[in-house]
Amino acid sequence: MASLRDIRKHIASVKSIKQITYAMKMVAAARIKKAQGAILASRPFAVEMDRLIADLYSEMGSEGLEGTAARELFAQRPEGPLCLVLVTADKGLCGSFNTNLLKAAAAWLRENRGRKIYAVAVGRKGRDFLRRLKGLDLELVHEMVGIFPKAGYAHAQLLTDEVLKLYAARPVSGVTLIYNEFKSMIAQRIVSDRLLPLQSHILEHGEARRGADFSFEPRKAELLESLLPRHVAAQFYRALLESQAAELAARMSAMEAASKNAADLIDGLTLKMNKTRQAMITTELNEIVSGAEALGG
Amino acid sequence: MDKKRLSLTIVTPERTVMADRPVDSVTVPAARGEMGVLPGHASYVVQLREGVLHYREGPRKEFFSVHGGFAEVHKDKVLVLAEAAELAKEVNEERARQSYQKAKENLAVRGAALDLEEATAALRRAAVRLKIAEIRRRHKQ
Repeated sequence: MASLRDIRKHIASVKSIKQITYAMKMVAAARIKKAQGAILASRPFAVEMDRLIADLYSEMGSEGLEGTAARELFAQRPEGPLCLVLVTADKGLCGSFNTNLLKAAAAWLRENRGRKIYAVAVGRKGRDFLRRLKGLDLELVHEMVGIFPKAGYAHAQLLTDEVLKLYAARPVSGVTLIYNEFKSMIAQRIVSDRLLPLQSHILEHGEARRGADFSFEPRKAELLESLLPRHVAAQFYRALLESQAAELAARMSAMEAASKNAADLIDGLTLKMNKTRQAMITTELNEIVSGAEALGG
Repeated sequence: MDKKRLSLTIVTPERTVMADRPVDSVTVPAARGEMGVLPGHASYVVQLREGVLHYREGPRKEFFSVHGGFAEVHKDKVLVLAEAAELAKEVNEERARQSYQKAKENLAVRGAALDLEEATAALRRAAVRLKIAEIRRRHKQ
């Protein structure tokens, strides 16, 4: 049976773990508000950007698009290598957040077995995972670690530059983005998005205001060419923010559960400690009484 | 009759700087020179470079630094989609001066790993911030 001292030690260590998990929960809870705010704040820009692209396209028509560099981003390419952008967390202790992501990534890789894969990793966990992989034709072209929880638009721009450079230089037939979407405080959803080639539906976006008779400077094609990378950047930015908020939410619930478990454990151990102490007192009393009886008798 | 006014909206990916603010006139740093917009302007879409955007609201004049993006004018609505925008009073002059120096040095050294475009862009950004800070100082006096 564990001695009193052992149990006390055990309680002390569980207590300090609980303190850590509780502090992590509070930190995540404080940050998540900000992360959610950032998602909301990024929405108007993305909406206006898409509308502007739609407007521009409705002015140009598809003939105007032919032969421009912008056309390249929409064109379906022949089957070739693929590009995977994996957004994970930098740190663990956030429940199944990373595990599920990596599982999804592994499934995607299995699906595309035999093709050359260019990978872009955001977050330390994903990078380590991709580095560990063996026996796959996989090249880690870019990695970005340590950006959470302060992911900014600058990071999204960097990512966009890298991916577009890769897309222009190699015959990559598609770019897929895998990340965790922030659904609610208790649920995340894994999303895998086909980013490139761009789908033409972004051009026929709802109510393009036809006949508005816009003037453009510089020319429409050039304008569209510089707008599209920004569209991609806005997509990346959203993914980064979603992932950031989802990570914090996952960490919050994981740490809350951990704190609760620690509290339960401490209760159990305290009970055990009291029982042990009581048993010791009883034995001692027994010994004294029986000793006195032996003397008196 | 109420005088015609423009409504100015400035959004960046990170925040909405202002939404539907009624103003008298706006000047944006278009790619080929500054462009002034008054009420009744023709519909226009223009690419922006790093520069100073300012608007007038009655007697008040307000300055912004914007860093790349687009502006759309349509039916007396001015929509600015900038990659970054800072109010004049948010610009940190000391930091701008430092980054200006650093960008200049970077350009002077021109190491092999230097991305020339990136460095000149950094220089332009810092220059815009410095200009804003100067304008701010002049207006305070």
